Amino acid sequence: MTTSIPSAETLFSFEQEINAIRDDALSKVGQADADYIRRVIRWQRALDLLSRLVIVLGFIHPLFWVAGVLMLALAKILDNMEIGHNVMHGQYDWMNDPHINSRNFEWDIAADGESWKRYHNHEHHTYTNIIGKDRDYGYGLLRLSDDIPWRKKNLWQIITYLNLSLLFQWGVAYHELAAERIFFGKRRKDSHLPISREELKAAFFSKIGKQVFKDYVFWPLLCFPVFWSVLLGNVCANLIRNLWTSTIIFCGHFTEEAHTFSEEECQNETRGQWYYRQILGSSNLEGARWFHILTGHLSCQIEHHLFPDIPARHYPGMAKQVEQVCKAHGIPYNSGSFGHQYLTVVKRVLRYSLPDKSGRGTLATH
Amino acid sequence: MTTMTDSALSPRSSRPVPRSQRRSALRRWLASSLTQHDRFAAYFEPLIQLVLPRWSTAGWRARVLEVRTELDDVYSLVLRPAKGWSGFNAGQYVEISAEQDGRRVSRIFSISSSPAYFARTGLIELTIRVQDQGRITPWLRQHFADGGLVSLSAAQGDFVVSQSTAPLLLIAGGNGITPFRSLLQQMQREGSVRPVQLLYYARHAQHFLFREEFDRLLLDMPQFSLTLLNNEEHGFISAAHIRQYCTDYAARDIMICGPTPMIQATRSALSELAVDAAQIRFEYFGAAPIDMQRANASDTLVAFKRSAINADIAAQPAQTLLEVAEQAGLKPVSGCRIGVCHQCICKKESGVVFNTKTGAYSDTGSEDIQLCISVAASDLILDL
Repeated sequence: MTTSIPSAETLFSFEQEINAIRDDALSKVGQADADYIRRVIRWQRALDLLSRLVIVLGFIHPLFWVAGVLMLALAKILDNMEIGHNVMHGQYDWMNDPHINSRNFEWDIAADGESWKRYHNHEHHTYTNIIGKDRDYGYGLLRLSDDIPWRKKNLWQIITYLNLSLLFQWGVAYHELAAERIFFGKRRKDSHLPISREELKAAFFSKIGKQVFKDYVFWPLLCFPVFWSVLLGNVCANLIRNLWTSTIIFCGHFTEEAHTFSEEECQNETRGQWYYRQILGSSNLEGARWFHILTGHLSCQIEHHLFPDIPARHYPGMAKQVEQVCKAHGIPYNSGSFGHQYLTVVKRVLRYSLPDKSGRGTLATH
Repeated sequence: MTTMTDSALSPRSSRPVPRSQRRSALRRWLASSLTQHDRFAAYFEPLIQLVLPRWSTAGWRARVLEVRTELDDVYSLVLRPAKGWSGFNAGQYVEISAEQDGRRVSRIFSISSSPAYFARTGLIELTIRVQDQGRITPWLRQHFADGGLVSLSAAQGDFVVSQSTAPLLLIAGGNGITPFRSLLQQMQREGSVRPVQLLYYARHAQHFLFREEFDRLLLDMPQFSLTLLNNEEHGFISAAHIRQYCTDYAARDIMICGPTPMIQATRSALSELAVDAAQIRFEYFGAAPIDMQRANASDTLVAFKRSAINADIAAQPAQTLLEVAEQAGLKPVSGCRIGVCHQCICKKESGVVFNTKTGAYSDTGSEDIQLCISVAASDLILDL
């Protein structure tokens, strides 16, 4: 669904009020945020190390193995979501810490952080849900809007979607290479790649090599007598993390009511229009504090898209204010429970696997 | 604070890569593979600090024992560095960092006490003037009044006394007295007989630091002489002052420390007196000034490659690349902002930069530069 835009006056006052929310949150950023992220990092480190031990204890009782796998998955989720994603967005750059900053941080996932920062922070966050510009929209694999022509492969895209979810870290790792047509396809004409194609390829292989070495060679070999049990445990932990992150991200952008935009609509847009597009292209998940933390606060996808470099622990508080401002300006604000939102994602994937015939009538356009 | 001898102005020296760095390539690969950090210690640091709060991968921790008032707007921090801190030479400086509302801030200060005092007591002192509207100097005084922990770098700088036996002339402006206090204390401890004269400038007669200590030194060290000159009464430094108060200046090794205008005035006075530049050492109190000719580069373009941002900058007023980057909305990691701590090091892909600290122009090719002391002298591409 593409969407038209509210009046200039509405958008202007909307912009002012969103700016005020941002300034208010920025003025509160300080010691509590530094203490918080350090606390999360300590938990992540402790879980990472402890889980390796507990997995090995699986030879005593299989429940140890299960617990260890869950702990390792949890460590990876914390590292990728609440720490890595947010730190690499520059949310903690103000701390001036040698390790907790977007320049130096690297995460425990197959995707090279530098590559991810290039396409995610710039492309996805600037051109959110603009068909043809935001490659995160369906990842070039799924048809999630009738602006994209139907092809036969879309018929079984629910299977593609499940595969993408299970292998999500490899998808994220390969994303920029796919855009640049490094291994397949015709070379991209309008490439803005700031490094050479060779360097991109080298960074890709270097990072996946390190990750494979760590989880599938080093740790299993180190615990040699239980080699297979450790290997299997690490595979499972990575799968759990993949499934979780992919699911959260799909709930953030591909719920039934998330809108898409055309390139023309977004030319010369004001800050207010940009805010508006971010809000309509995203959806929130409601839940307890632990749930927000495990999603890296991407449960507040709307606020993350409005304020990508404000420390994410402020999002739930800001969400209440943003929702009110939206209500006052007649702008839809999509928020719901995890279960409900996920159901609409699955519905969307299924619906667009069939060619366009009903589509347009069911979604309100503005 | 930046230290220079005039020989440092000669062609730039590239920093050599230590051999040990190459040898540890495998360990680095292992660390980055297993922990996503270049060093294992960096990954474990948050856990280690739970047990050993003073343990750190960056520099050493030091305990603040006392904040001693010297004048209304000048105080000394008395610090006990952690074991393993490598000591210093009189005249050197350290960087101290502390966390201010979650943000790590750092400043560079000369050590105002002597190495001999450190050897005896394990303590060092930093004497600090409260900057008007400063963010850090007033805060340090308040925040550490009841003690606390700061991070400390190794001592750095080559503003140390020359090896010769030639008599010394020390010229201090305001708080620039601090390295000289260290140096004089050390000479006294070592029983040095080297003649030394101190020309000490301050704003008013009430603004001289360490008066009683210097009076004691005068009794202890017959070869030491002290001239106190306050700007109100005597005006600023000039060639006439030097001729009047230190007749044998031509035979002396000269060390200057103070604010930038005072150093510039002193250097031009000395060149007026035809003093050989090789005899002179000086240390800026703050960042080295940007004074450069940019006749044929009216506008330059700085491309921040990683962020895909281009900044068009006018020639006047000259800005450091750190300022340019920050105005473009980037937040590069930075520290001292005066070219000492090397935190804002960034890879320059191409273009020429002017280094305000060394006064040298860079090569055109790819190299690491410090953003806070680099000014664009041509179009640039930065890996930022």
